[in-house]
Amino acid sequence: MTHLVVKDLTAGYGDARVLHGVGLTVGEGEICAILGPNGAGKTTLLRALSGMIRARGTVTLGGADLTGHPPDTLARQGVAHVPEGRGTFMPLTVEENLRLGAYVRRRGPELEADLDRIHGYFPVLKTRLKQAAGSLSGGEQQMLAIGRALMSRPRLLLLDEPSLGLAPLVTRELFRIVQAINAEERTTVVVVEQNAHLALGIAQQAHVLETGRIVLSGTAEEIRADEQVAQSYLGYRV
Amino acid sequence: MAGFLQQLVQGLGAGAVYASLALALVLIYQFTGIVNFAQGELAMFSTYIAWQLTAAGLPFWPALVLTLAVSFAGGMLIERVIIRPVEGAPELTLVIVTVGLFIFVNAAAGWIWTFLIKDFPNPFPAGALEAGGISIGLSTLGVLAVVGVVMGLLYLLFRHTKIGLGMRAVAANPESARLVGIRVGWTLALGWGLASTVGAVSGVLVAPLLFLEPNMMGGVLIYAFAAATLGGFDSPVGAVVGGLIVGVAETLAGAYVGFIGSDLKVGVPLVIILGVLLLRPQGLFGRAVVERA
Ligand SMILES: Nc1ncnc2c1ncn2[C@@H]1O[C@H](COP(=O)(O)OP(=O)(O)OP(=O)(O)O)[C@@H](O)[C@H]1O
Ligand SMILES: [Mg+2]
Repeated sequence: MTHLVVKDLTAGYGDARVLHGVGLTVGEGEICAILGPNGAGKTTLLRALSGMIRARGTVTLGGADLTGHPPDTLARQGVAHVPEGRGTFMPLTVEENLRLGAYVRRRGPELEADLDRIHGYFPVLKTRLKQAAGSLSGGEQQMLAIGRALMSRPRLLLLDEPSLGLAPLVTRELFRIVQAINAEERTTVVVVEQNAHLALGIAQQAHVLETGRIVLSGTAEEIRADEQVAQSYLGYRV
Repeated sequence: MAGFLQQLVQGLGAGAVYASLALALVLIYQFTGIVNFAQGELAMFSTYIAWQLTAAGLPFWPALVLTLAVSFAGGMLIERVIIRPVEGAPELTLVIVTVGLFIFVNAAAGWIWTFLIKDFPNPFPAGALEAGGISIGLSTLGVLAVVGVVMGLLYLLFRHTKIGLGMRAVAANPESARLVGIRVGWTLALGWGLASTVGAVSGVLVAPLLFLEPNMMGGVLIYAFAAATLGGFDSPVGAVVGGLIVGVAETLAGAYVGFIGSDLKVGVPLVIILGVLLLRPQGLFGRAVVERA
């Protein structure tokens, strides 16, 4: 069943158009990987999906029209965006960062249970709850950012380069957790990632974006098996 | 020794007033990065509203509550109407806008209430408390108490309510705040409303000590700038501590440093501002800005 439907999406900054009619669909509970070279417009695509920048075209999530709404409205509709650079609230504590993730929800036992759930995924956060989030390491901040996003109980989770600046071991662990979250919560995930190998490892389907257009789509296996793609976009040989 | 303590308490009383206006400055700076040069004038305007209400026969405290409510709404309105259109504009534009607001509010007050001085009722009884050879005016105690209550309420708001957490989130990272669902525009307006309210308290407290007239807050604003600079423009706690230090420093310098006396006292905040900017630009409690996102 398709969950996220994006049709003919165009977006950019000022007069500069970056996305030229992007279309894709993601099934409910699936992970979709967006690959592509630097400057292809991957971040811009996620920003358009979460309402951070204005976009034209249509975006629907579970049948509801999301097009053209500001991010605070989309957050209420179940879109959670972990931005490039993590978007940590640096001077606030780890716990406050997590609670802010649940800003659109009511307080209550469910919310407290979700906090525990996130400590289960990221035990290191639990030991740092009262610490300023800005004092966390890069990897810990990435975990915090994902934890924050999960606190909203999203229907759609947008992850922008979760591996950025992390050691390979930490990255692998992080992707394992994203996969576990996806499996346990049936959250639909769109992940942008330079590390194509890892992203394809957890995704059901993938799209290759180049200069604002999708130039190749397929299942993760198909994309991985495409030798030409492997060389020109993914930077490794099969 | 008793004389020194006497001066100290007096300084704290003056400092509490500076602290409240400094707090208003810091509130707005934290949310919008704007140094609101009109903060003192807004406080002055609020004070006139309180005066008008008491002149119309309302008892002081109800008049104050009403004034604070009007100031809150007025602050929000100013953000929505005047500040919103220039949000994100270069620093110089923002400075010009708040200076323009300063001139406008000042002129408006003069136009409505004239530039003749008015007596503002002192809400506190006249007597003094004698203890250990020093006497503390009840109005000094009153000022300290009112400012203390304001600080306490703000602390509760910021630390123990969801709205307060949202406000701190907006100050820390507006973009992320939007992504978690906070309505940032309204939060900024709320910040202006709060700042205007806190500023109004400082105006109402200082008016009985000076006379009410449109230029009443000019001097206080300079002290508040010194307080905010000393404490750190991004730290509410710093604003309060800075205000108290500035008040005490000014009073002690006036009393004990021979050549300063009461005429040169106003030089004290300027010396403090210069000294802080040279030695520790982020202030005592401020975070050093490494980069601004
Ligand atoms: N805030 C901005 N203002 C103007 N142009 C921008 C802005 N952000 C990105 N761009 C431009 O949009 C294009 C796409 O950028 P985007 O960040 O979406 O690429 P990306 O695929 O995420 O790249 P990377 O892999 O390096 O993160 C680039 O040409 C970039 O210069
Ligand atoms: Mg990017």
